[in-house]
Amino acid sequence: MRYWLQRIAMAVSLLLAVSALTFGAMNLLGDPLFNILGPIAGDTDNPKSVKLIEQAKEQYHLDRALGVRYGYWLSDFVQGDMGVQFGRDGQPPVTKLIKERVPRTVMLLIIGQLIAILLAIPWAIIAASRVDKPVDRLSTGTTFLLVSLPSFALAVILKFFLAIKFEIFPLTFNAQDPLKSRIWQMILPGMVIGLPAAAIYQRLLRTDLITTLQEDFILMARSKGVSRRRVLFRHALRPSLFSFITVIGLTTGALIGGSIVVETIFRIPGLGSSLVEAVLRQDFPVVLAIVMIVAAAFVLINLLIDVFYSIIDPRVRR
Amino acid sequence: MSELTAASDVTVADPESAATEEQRAEKRTLGVAFWVCIAWLVLMVALAFLAPYLPIKDPRANFTGKGQAGASKGPSGDHWFGTDKDARDVFSRTLWGARVSLTVGFVAIAFGMVVGGTLGMLSGFFRGWCDRVFSFIFLVLLSFPSLVLAIMLTALLDRKLMTIAIILGILAVAPVGRLARATTLQFAEREFVMAARSLGAKNKRIIVRELLPNVAIPMSALALLGMAVAIVAEGGLAFLGLSVEKGITWGGMIQLGSDNSRTLERAPWIAFFPIGVLFLTVFALNFAGDRVRTYFDVKEISL
Repeated sequence: MRYWLQRIAMAVSLLLAVSALTFGAMNLLGDPLFNILGPIAGDTDNPKSVKLIEQAKEQYHLDRALGVRYGYWLSDFVQGDMGVQFGRDGQPPVTKLIKERVPRTVMLLIIGQLIAILLAIPWAIIAASRVDKPVDRLSTGTTFLLVSLPSFALAVILKFFLAIKFEIFPLTFNAQDPLKSRIWQMILPGMVIGLPAAAIYQRLLRTDLITTLQEDFILMARSKGVSRRRVLFRHALRPSLFSFITVIGLTTGALIGGSIVVETIFRIPGLGSSLVEAVLRQDFPVVLAIVMIVAAAFVLINLLIDVFYSIIDPRVRR
Repeated sequence: MSELTAASDVTVADPESAATEEQRAEKRTLGVAFWVCIAWLVLMVALAFLAPYLPIKDPRANFTGKGQAGASKGPSGDHWFGTDKDARDVFSRTLWGARVSLTVGFVAIAFGMVVGGTLGMLSGFFRGWCDRVFSFIFLVLLSFPSLVLAIMLTALLDRKLMTIAIILGILAVAPVGRLARATTLQFAEREFVMAARSLGAKNKRIIVRELLPNVAIPMSALALLGMAVAIVAEGGLAFLGLSVEKGITWGGMIQLGSDNSRTLERAPWIAFFPIGVLFLTVFALNFAGDRVRTYFDVKEISL
């Protein structure tokens, strides 16, 4: 119990630090008043503008100290109110925008992970059962190529070959289409984030499998007459899943970073693409909300990995 | 892709780790492929450095053909990599782009090494509150997905070359720091440190003369891998239009060539030549870093 309290306290303090840093940086380095009102903010001669400025200061607590403003933001945020978008009258509040966009990013990440996992497991098994044969060497070389290819470059290459030369996949995402075709539209973006992840998983799983295959219980199973295929899938794969799941969790954080670029390229209105737009507009509430959601997801995933660990291996909880 | 995966434990293997005979043999030499990669990197650095003095075309000039104003042309003897949408020479732009990418990559990782290495070694050596504070800072940095932090900072600060490089350097602080900390922790227990201490060496001398040389070895592998990550990150920023303003960058060139799918279809060379050069550079850094890592038997580095 004590262990979990510590873990949760750590997670919460991490998120507080992230939010305070983001909030502080944006308010100190940027100019919130200008970002809310635009050029009017500098126009202090015109009484009409002065009134608007006063109004905005009142509404956003801009004349208060930074710490107080952070307090206001935090209490709103915890209650699920992420504020209003800066400088865009008539736009929905941030919470609504985020609610609309989160599912798309989550879907992209799930599709990417599924592609990565479904590809990596058979790939690793094939390589591990033929260690240092040409097939294995070729596949290790391929993982190197995939890991060295930046996601935007991979996106351009896949787009060129799979969407333009051979028109297998659609070029862009359309949020109005039915679910089935939206999933189909996400396969190509999913591949862009899934293929490098598959390469990382393959490397890990391959090394793990090679070690496991040298164990006595594998020899035992083989000599009992269990088929090669069955030994590979049923006996050798299982002990590797432990570290495999950890890496999947940790990679998800990196994939969120990759999804920013991918969403922008394939015009998917998700969290990543709205982050880029919001950053360019210096729309602080949106940036803060997205940074917090992403950081929270990341911290939560790490916590879940620990929970998972302690379930299958109670020694971790000391 | 191999951005901050933030593995919870960065460990350095002990020499007795299970390695097959063949792997041992492989470790003793760096291999031909390693030197090919280094040669490519040296060539890129030289070309980038000499770009203003080489007899190549002006990267900003427009080479408009007769009758077809502004149209891009495929690779030819005149323009090796073809010309882009604004009829500018892709080959010379690629060389000029290398200047930005390599400078950013180098400065970023140098910054990460100095700051992260110092913080990591201090927390590994002094432990206690110092370790707790610095480790927390590393964790906070790792809780931002790297690109998110970079995008946020570029939007708030200016987009000068050095600013971008330092921003990406901040991203390198946490992974470098964690490796430095783990390695220092391991070596601080060893006999030679105790011997130095019993001979009357001060903390400063122990850190600089005894620990630094040992920590520097695994760090050299991380430096190569980290430079690759920084170059990729700069490319990503440039691709999103958030890197060096007015400068020629590989990411920007790739964006220009692929933004419009008709451009990509009709003139694929605009995007594909920078992609090729960027890929080879990142690949060379990754491969060389990986070889150095196996050579010195550093088991796990996660970036």
